[in-house]
Amino acid sequence: MAWRIGVDIGGTFTDVALVDDTTGRIGVAKALTTPRDFAGGVLAALDSAMRRYAVAASDVGLLAHATTVVTNALLEEKGARAVMVTTRGFRDVLELRRSSRPDLYDLFQDAPATLVPRHRRFEITERIGADGKAVTPLAEGEIDSLIAAIRETAPEAIAVSLLFSFLNADHERRLGAHLRRAFPDIPVYLSSEVLPEIREFERASTTAVCAYVGPILASYLKRLEDATQGLGLPRLYVMGSNGGVFEASEGIAMPAIAVESGPAAGVVGAALVARQTGRLDLLSFDMGGTTAKASLIRNGEYETTPEYEVGGGASANRFMNGTGHPIRVPVIDLAEVSAGGGSIAWVDRAGSLRVGPRSAGAEPGPVCYARGGTEPTVTDCNLLLGYLDRNSLLSGDMQIDFAAAERVIAEKLARPLGVDVKTAAAAVIDIVNHAMAEALKIVSVERGHDPREFSLVAFGGAGPMHAAALAAELQIKEIVCPPIPGAFSALGLVGTDLKRDYVRTFYATTATANPAALEQGFSALQSEGAAMLDRAGVAAERRRFVRTVDARYARQSYELSVAVPDGRLDASAIMVIADAFHERHRQTYGHDNRTEPVQIVNIRVAAIGTIPPLRIRQEVAAPGTNPLKGERRAWFRASGETTARIFDRARMAAGFEAVGPAVIESLESTILVPPGWTARMDTDGFVLLARNP
Amino acid sequence: MNDTRPAADPAAFEIVKNSLFKIAEEMRIVLCKTAYSPILKSAGDFSCGVFDAKGDMVAQGPDLPIHLGSMPDAVRAVVKAFGADVHEGDVYIHNDPYFGGSHLPDVNVVRPAFNDGKLIGYACLRAHWPDIGSATPGSYGAVTEIFGEGLRLPPLRLVSKGVLNTELEKVILWNVRTPDERQGDLGAQLAATLRATERLKSLAQRYGTERLIAYMDEVMSYSERLMRATLADLPDGEGYFEDFCDGDGIADDADGNDAVFWVRMKVKKTGDRLLVDFAGTDPRVAGPMNAVLSVTCSGIYCGLKMCVDPNSLIPPNSGCWRMIEVVAPKGSVVNAEFPAPVVYSNHEMSHRVADMVMGALVHFWPTQVMACSQGTSAVLTLGGVDPRSGRRYVSYETIKGGFGARPNKDGINVIASTISNTMNTPVEVLEMAFPFRVERYEINPDSGGPGKYRGGCGARRTWRMLEGADAVGTLCMERMRSAPFGLLGGKSGAAAVVTLTTPDGKTRHLPSKGAFQAPAGSVVDMITPGSGGFGPTAERDRVAIEADLKGGYVTAEAMKREYGV
Repeated sequence: MAWRIGVDIGGTFTDVALVDDTTGRIGVAKALTTPRDFAGGVLAALDSAMRRYAVAASDVGLLAHATTVVTNALLEEKGARAVMVTTRGFRDVLELRRSSRPDLYDLFQDAPATLVPRHRRFEITERIGADGKAVTPLAEGEIDSLIAAIRETAPEAIAVSLLFSFLNADHERRLGAHLRRAFPDIPVYLSSEVLPEIREFERASTTAVCAYVGPILASYLKRLEDATQGLGLPRLYVMGSNGGVFEASEGIAMPAIAVESGPAAGVVGAALVARQTGRLDLLSFDMGGTTAKASLIRNGEYETTPEYEVGGGASANRFMNGTGHPIRVPVIDLAEVSAGGGSIAWVDRAGSLRVGPRSAGAEPGPVCYARGGTEPTVTDCNLLLGYLDRNSLLSGDMQIDFAAAERVIAEKLARPLGVDVKTAAAAVIDIVNHAMAEALKIVSVERGHDPREFSLVAFGGAGPMHAAALAAELQIKEIVCPPIPGAFSALGLVGTDLKRDYVRTFYATTATANPAALEQGFSALQSEGAAMLDRAGVAAERRRFVRTVDARYARQSYELSVAVPDGRLDASAIMVIADAFHERHRQTYGHDNRTEPVQIVNIRVAAIGTIPPLRIRQEVAAPGTNPLKGERRAWFRASGETTARIFDRARMAAGFEAVGPAVIESLESTILVPPGWTARMDTDGFVLLARNP
Repeated sequence: MNDTRPAADPAAFEIVKNSLFKIAEEMRIVLCKTAYSPILKSAGDFSCGVFDAKGDMVAQGPDLPIHLGSMPDAVRAVVKAFGADVHEGDVYIHNDPYFGGSHLPDVNVVRPAFNDGKLIGYACLRAHWPDIGSATPGSYGAVTEIFGEGLRLPPLRLVSKGVLNTELEKVILWNVRTPDERQGDLGAQLAATLRATERLKSLAQRYGTERLIAYMDEVMSYSERLMRATLADLPDGEGYFEDFCDGDGIADDADGNDAVFWVRMKVKKTGDRLLVDFAGTDPRVAGPMNAVLSVTCSGIYCGLKMCVDPNSLIPPNSGCWRMIEVVAPKGSVVNAEFPAPVVYSNHEMSHRVADMVMGALVHFWPTQVMACSQGTSAVLTLGGVDPRSGRRYVSYETIKGGFGARPNKDGINVIASTISNTMNTPVEVLEMAFPFRVERYEINPDSGGPGKYRGGCGARRTWRMLEGADAVGTLCMERMRSAPFGLLGGKSGAAAVVTLTTPDGKTRHLPSKGAFQAPAGSVVDMITPGSGGFGPTAERDRVAIEADLKGGYVTAEAMKREYGV
């Protein structure tokens, strides 16, 4: 008897998902999130889950956690008092950034935030040139006074980022050794250890993010791990932004790998669905109260993107320079839009209907929740159209004020637009669906994938309600609604492998690269990964190493990731890399240039400790159970106002079919089945929606 | 027949509007990721737009405001030149400022979008090529006629029904210094415009061609309505501002001094209309500081957009400017006539005009303007042969200064302002590509104009040519003599300074514009302008003063001198 437990922290609830490793049976428990000290909520939720399912600590084989500590510290600007040391003449690298402003016309925009203020940024005389050779030796004589000056600032963490340290780390290492001796109790992050990659601002920014969040993450993880081990639970794994889990100590060494821990868990869950249901190409759609996230699974695997921006103003398009702090670590490729059940609809002064970006959030929430909300939201419109129960939600735990929602939509939307309330509400839903479809297009169409070849997996509280409309817009034929949609991310936590990525800049064209040198570079990274797996006690037969290169045409600036063939590298293997790059370029941008040299920029090794595959199962009702709850009027674009049948998901037996128009209700989520669609319960508790032939 | 009025289907209109702006954004992504030259792929010196069949701009990408006014002329020039002779699979190219361009290095690639044989509109991508020929690497020489500024391309058909005109392509590539790099950039422009026309086609297939065209028209009317409504809510009034430019790069006396010249502007706002009148502005100058009218308009539109719509709610397109009237004397520096040279004016005059708009509006909109920003693109080009590879190279950089102080907050240090929004190129990328070393890139203290709200500081950046790397440099800057002005009692920001130290140890000040020899071992040291302050220094908050001192943005001496503390 062995259980896996995943713990995910959300804005309102901390979710725990338990999976029985032998049967695949799932359990769920929730506790209120405790923002002041997240560990409290985590422990409460764990306690509640283990009691409810009578799980002894000794029965738990795996404990994994998605943390919001890193993202929150950055969003709320509550990180450590950090110091940064740079090459003389480059003290301001963090503040000068890339010099473009995030908004072209905003007269009152603020200066982008800087994690290390100017009075804590120091310089040292030294310089490495573009050929990797020292132009100016490290000024050992300055180090004592530098240390004294740093000490004056009472630092909690130190970041060091010197020019060209990705080519030659000698100066950084020597300076780092002095600093670590002088400040034995605080972390010192060297850019050549954190990210030995070209581009000084991005490298410095990643290093600064580590210093800024490192102390907080370390103390949080230590407290949590002490507590969970005190309960007799196994070693704590943490979800990384790359979709793998890592041991707490790895995250303390490289805190930037813990951003977007929660959203990554949802995508990992979707990948699990892909493998379990045999639908290997999936678009993942996660919609909650304030945001919706889209991601793509191909061949059962999600994609990662090499650069990400954390903190500052959120942006759906991460390619634009924003106000946040860039980090160069692999982050699961997901597009996020500020659209959720709480998004507010309004008519602008030119008479056009808009939705968001403002949200009523959980407080005051939609008008129909009767908790003080006064602006019409997406949820109010869903209610008006008959998709939600007119009287109560959460199986009767929450009363609904239908009349108030209708009044507000009439007053603030329908009247100024000159249409009836149903038309206004439907238009709001169309607009929000379009925004979410755009997010799905960013991860599919923009990456050269045709969404029609994918199934859609929908989760999050609001995901299954909007899924069919999105599928129709993108001409997707099938939707998968997994069990426990509201706590699905917690489930993703326990189905993923141990994983860390290692990177190093390796500048060579495929025409001139020396296979032996390339092999040596990969071997060095692989040794680092092997050391990590040693520390985690991963047995030899569970180890995997995946090699990739970041490559581009010689004079381009942005790389694409390309797989490296297995085995010892030789000249023909390098040819295979070049071919794969041309193909990838053509697929992404519509053209390639086979006469142009292919430039390798970085080499990467992902070190993986595999975990036995997980099978998700939720009990379904006994054959013959009648799930029909009743009927109500609902409005659909295809049919106008019509009668929809209402079903209880918990009472649907395997093979039961709900023909649209229908609504399938459960405690935490509602599945909308429009006319022309049919929903079917499978044997594992998944609801599958398909368009009628 | 579908009802094509947007009001008939509010959701569809909003969706199409968002899709059109998304298309312009997607062009940007494709260009950045596939272009070859650092100025495009790293610095982002280009603009993308979606246009209707008449050449009006329906959606501008989040690129450079400098192209707001002049991009529509680029597409109109194609419409005018080819009329009905436009076919699916065609691509047009041109760069002549007297035929819809801005300056010769900005090369426009225009591609029509069709659905079922019907013309929907155009995608246009204007990209700054680091070299377009002429006597000077980078094509930034101080010449006296446009014929000296490089290769001129009137609107030409580069691709005809999918077939590339290789002879025209050869003429282009033969006339530029780094042809293989240019070929890569041109390929990226073709790929990005193709992506846009494919997207337009699929929108047309979904909503119907006629309906899409009607919506494109309505998107502009939508911006126009918002702009008019917002203008009408603001106070009426009239304001005047005059300012002088440093020079045009051509010596005006026997000692080699470059004379200043004046730009004069009156702004008058009545109801939902606004007039900008340049009466009294100096006539054309000999060097390339003459702006064609559409470049002048770009500066005006950008300044106005920031003041009228400071929270950036109105989608930028041609509809925004229908109520703006610009009167500029023909043949003056703000309305150049052929064959006056123009290359500097594209950014230097549009920067100037954008800042001046604020100076004129402060008289009646004192809470909705900012003090003068850096006011220059601060262009430095360095070119020659890289001794490490034996290959020819041209480096083109624009260095940022301060963003002006606002009525309620300080300016911003070293960030792109008004018409510009290009990025810097990472020092590590530059040094891998070009034979020089950047020895310093930092904030220049005391350069932000003092005031109740301090101006943003400028930058200091230093380049040293490597051994064996003799280079020809050119500089194109403003605000060396005419320091960025403060408003309502705020003081000026620090003026720009550039020095050249040659290997013989001699240091001299470089004039604001023109070419110079930089032999191996030379050092170019550039200080970019800070921005002006807003409001009197006596009203500056104590906490802000302390913070400036602590961060070293203002030194103790300057603090005593300017603020008396």
